[in-house]
Amino acid sequence: MMRRAELVLLLAFLLISILSYGQKTQHFYNVDKEITVEGTIQEIIMEPRYKETSPFLVILLEEKKTGELYQVEISPVWFFDHDFHKGENLTVKGSLYSSDGKSLNIIAREVQCRGETLFLRDKHGFPNWRGGKGLTKKRGKGKGKLY
Amino acid sequence: MKKKDFFLFFFLPLLGIVVIFFVLSSINRTYIKNKVEELVKEQLQATAEILKVNISHFLNENYQSDEIFNLYSGEENIYYMALLDEKKEILGWSSRFEGYLPLSQKNFGKGEPWIIDSPAGKIFNIFSSFTSSDQRTYYIYLGYSMGSLEEMIAHSRKSFFILFGIIAGVGIIFLLGIYQLQNHYLRKEKEAEEERREKERYREISAFTSGVAHEIKNPLNSLALLFEFFEKKVPQELHQEISLGNKEIRRISRIIDQFSASLKPLNLKKEKFILKNLLEEIIVSLENERDSADVKIKYSEENRVELNADKELLSQAFRNLLRNSLEATEEGNIAVWAKEQHNKIFITLQDSGKGLSEEERIHIFDPFFSRKKEGMGIGLYLTKKIIEAHDGKIECESRLGKGTTFFIQIPGG
Repeated sequence: MMRRAELVLLLAFLLISILSYGQKTQHFYNVDKEITVEGTIQEIIMEPRYKETSPFLVILLEEKKTGELYQVEISPVWFFDHDFHKGENLTVKGSLYSSDGKSLNIIAREVQCRGETLFLRDKHGFPNWRGGKGLTKKRGKGKGKLY
Repeated sequence: MKKKDFFLFFFLPLLGIVVIFFVLSSINRTYIKNKVEELVKEQLQATAEILKVNISHFLNENYQSDEIFNLYSGEENIYYMALLDEKKEILGWSSRFEGYLPLSQKNFGKGEPWIIDSPAGKIFNIFSSFTSSDQRTYYIYLGYSMGSLEEMIAHSRKSFFILFGIIAGVGIIFLLGIYQLQNHYLRKEKEAEEERREKERYREISAFTSGVAHEIKNPLNSLALLFEFFEKKVPQELHQEISLGNKEIRRISRIIDQFSASLKPLNLKKEKFILKNLLEEIIVSLENERDSADVKIKYSEENRVELNADKELLSQAFRNLLRNSLEATEEGNIAVWAKEQHNKIFITLQDSGKGLSEEERIHIFDPFFSRKKEGMGIGLYLTKKIIEAHDGKIECESRLGKGTTFFIQIPGG
């Protein structure tokens, strides 16, 4: 009985992943929809976001004031070398989009954590991990593992 | 030349040239850059027009936007593109960079292409409308790489800075060279002026002292004759005192003669002669004069040396030098070497005598400088004067207790 339930859950997860992958490739950093959200980390996940790229670090963030949940797309996992912990406070500046009209997603441009600002994209949304001057200078400081 | 003058006459013009070159080059580069940007814009607009026609065709053929973008994925210069409907809602888009599509509502009204700076370089952007065959309006948004243009500009900038560096470097070296030449010329002019003044002063002093010596000499001769007369007439007990007086008067007379001789300008009477013969004569004469077997003078030469010079004066000069060396050397050898090289005669006299202190060495050629009780200090002064009258040079090296060496260089041969 348990095995069947697990199998159903797994299939459901795969289906959602495939569907969501298809949708997520359609999102882009919309400079007209920049917002800043301050919240608490609820979950840290890694998943594919764009075609033919390595998995991305995605954070499930609960906004402090409203309690709304945001999926925050940070950067490819290989690029990000800071420690994030569940329950930690985070301020995210980025572009808001909704793939289905209900969910709230943010493509992060700047992330403030423990008094440090991490720069992930430039003001037009160009990703710093794709080279250029901002690659090392604006990533912020410190090294660590993801938890 | 003062630093201020150097700045005014050399550095300022160079700075002016460099600044003018810099300004003109910058204007030129900016002009070329603007022209090239205009060309790229035109190219981009043409590309956009072609794309619009093609996309319109694909839309008529019911292609999906993703399929259309896939067809253009091989275009390296297109960084991103998007297709929008008549409400300016994005139907589809593609980008080389994850989530990068810098399209804002502010850009919707722009008719002209605009440029965005990105870490991947400058990107030309264009937002333009077109109508499909079913009369629906679409918009196309394109981001076009300016990589080749930037490469060209970077190359131009690099070439400019290299050229600028070369011009500045060459200019600085050139002006420093001129500055050095100018300084050298001014220094030489100053030295020549000082020499001229010194000669003038020396000539005046010589004329004055020669006159004084002449005036002294006449009464001194009378006095010498008087003493000779007294020597014959005075009683025997006064004879010794009178004789001593006469001797002193003669000594004074000799000093005045030597002094007058040293002041006289040297008139060279040049003749050709073999140096070896002259020096051997002097050596034999000095060895007989001294009659000492403890010190030997040895002459050697690398090649046969023939001189065209004043034999008498040079004989006097070498005699003075060798006599000094003999007097300074109690035992050992005095070596004399000679050679002719590159139309110059090099003569070296080396003794193993007492040597000179540094203070003595500096003043050895000064008139009236002598270490000897009986010496007047005229000999080496005259020697230098004779050598210099032949456009030659004489230098002295010495170490106290180790001996002294004289280096003579005379042009000709």
